[in-house]
Amino acid sequence: MLNIGKEKVPLCDGVSRRSFLQLGTAGMAAMSLPTLLQLEANGSTKEKPAQIKNCITIFLVGSPGQHDTWDMKPDAPAEIRGKFKPIQTNVNGVRICEHFPLMSKMMDKVALIRSLHHKTGATHENGQRWMMTGHDFNADSIKPHVGSIVSRVFGSRGDLPANVILPGPIGNTGAGPLHGQTAGYLGSGHEPFFLNSDPARPDFKVADLEVPAGESASRLDARTRLLNQVDELQRRTETKSTQMHDASYERAFRLLTSSSAKRAFNLSEEKDTLRDRYGRNTFGQSCLMARRLVENGVRYVTVNHFDTVFGLSCWDMHADGGGLNNTYLDYERHLCPQFDWAFTALITDLEQRGLLKETVVAVLSEFGRTPQINGRGGRDHYPAAWTNFLCGGNIRGGQVVGSTDKTGSRPNDSPVEPPQIIASIYQGMGIDLDNTMMPGPGERPVRLVEAEPIRQLFA
Amino acid sequence: MEQKYEGTPKAEIKLAGRKVTRTDVTNDWGLGLQWVVRRGGKVVATVNARAETSYELADKTPGEYEFVLQMWHYFDYAKNPAGEFTKSKFVEVSNKVTLKV
Repeated sequence: MLNIGKEKVPLCDGVSRRSFLQLGTAGMAAMSLPTLLQLEANGSTKEKPAQIKNCITIFLVGSPGQHDTWDMKPDAPAEIRGKFKPIQTNVNGVRICEHFPLMSKMMDKVALIRSLHHKTGATHENGQRWMMTGHDFNADSIKPHVGSIVSRVFGSRGDLPANVILPGPIGNTGAGPLHGQTAGYLGSGHEPFFLNSDPARPDFKVADLEVPAGESASRLDARTRLLNQVDELQRRTETKSTQMHDASYERAFRLLTSSSAKRAFNLSEEKDTLRDRYGRNTFGQSCLMARRLVENGVRYVTVNHFDTVFGLSCWDMHADGGGLNNTYLDYERHLCPQFDWAFTALITDLEQRGLLKETVVAVLSEFGRTPQINGRGGRDHYPAAWTNFLCGGNIRGGQVVGSTDKTGSRPNDSPVEPPQIIASIYQGMGIDLDNTMMPGPGERPVRLVEAEPIRQLFA
Repeated sequence: MEQKYEGTPKAEIKLAGRKVTRTDVTNDWGLGLQWVVRRGGKVVATVNARAETSYELADKTPGEYEFVLQMWHYFDYAKNPAGEFTKSKFVEVSNKVTLKV
């Protein structure tokens, strides 16, 4: 069987994806996007939600240095090994930074990937595009966010959108607006839903879930019925763009009128002790919100740990004395403790609720940092080697994929590129990449990502 | 967007023998948490307090020891030319207990 959208399409027995593609470019080209959309429309997501797992991606904007976190080099010279010391974890032979003491006790659940690298520019945006979409791209060919692909192929469950980004989009990180957090050609119906509100604030509310003043829900409903009648006339001349507009309109309406959606976003339903355990800060409460959202049907949640690298404490440790003045002190007192506290709360909470097996947790960043500490005591951008990690879902924890050389400068073995991480996330979610396609920009079916998963993660 | 830190963190600490034990922190900001040990008013040890809820004094030097729990209070990331934070600092989040050795 081949899945296109949510619909299974029979294939001859024994036909692999590769042979299918070899055979099929010409044949499948005849299957246009409207046909695909029709196929999808035949499989109602509400009646028959696709059985895949969830994903929570934690994106560390600015990017921690591998030497100072999860790929320490204690035997390297001082100007390379840095200031922190490694500690033993609960997995024999695996050591991580001393400032992740809680994470060190749950490394049996985590798969570190230490040989990650990419070969394009060393800007934050290059890395964001790679890790959010599995591609680098320019403004002429914007690729969709992984969550938007999941939304397009598998649809939403219930009233909540399939793809949510917390607490808001990545903003200015220095080199343009292309951060990989849009639906691209998949259209507005699959754009991520941005919370655009800080869940750590005492007066936290989701602006998009508030019915405008002067409107009651029933009046809104009546207006929608009227609008539907008008829309019916338009459908005779329907185009792809109006379909997409409808989808996003319908999504907004469902959010506005759904009590279950409102409830999912209501953090005050959580016990104070649990909110404390995640950390009473924007990041911690966003991680807690992510758990609530997957519990309530959201398939893909991204938590941006910071939305910029300028003028605030974040992972971008240049120590430049100006607008990028993060140093070892920020890591030691703020960033590592904040991450350690929230991440371990999330994993423990998911596990206690039986959700960890159903949810891939991916901790991603844009690149590594320079092996040589710079003249001001910081480290600069370095895409040739870094460490990210996955756990939950189908991922086997307690292992390390790949390694770097003795200075943390290059992958030593099993080099991994960003699309393989994305492919592994899909596989961790239970998505069979050889048998699942999506509509591509040229209205022809394409593979979700042009890479194979890292087999070791699932062995 | 700067991170928001809600409420005021608070914990209680108790001494039993040479071991000091803390409760969970309420309104926990989730930032660096440390035991601070002073002898004669001078800091003699700062120890990460996240991983464990207790700390046992190993120092046998005679004197009066004072224990308190501190958490990092982030205002902003501004630093002076020496690289020290100018506003952000560790603040006390517990009562103090003393021990005579």
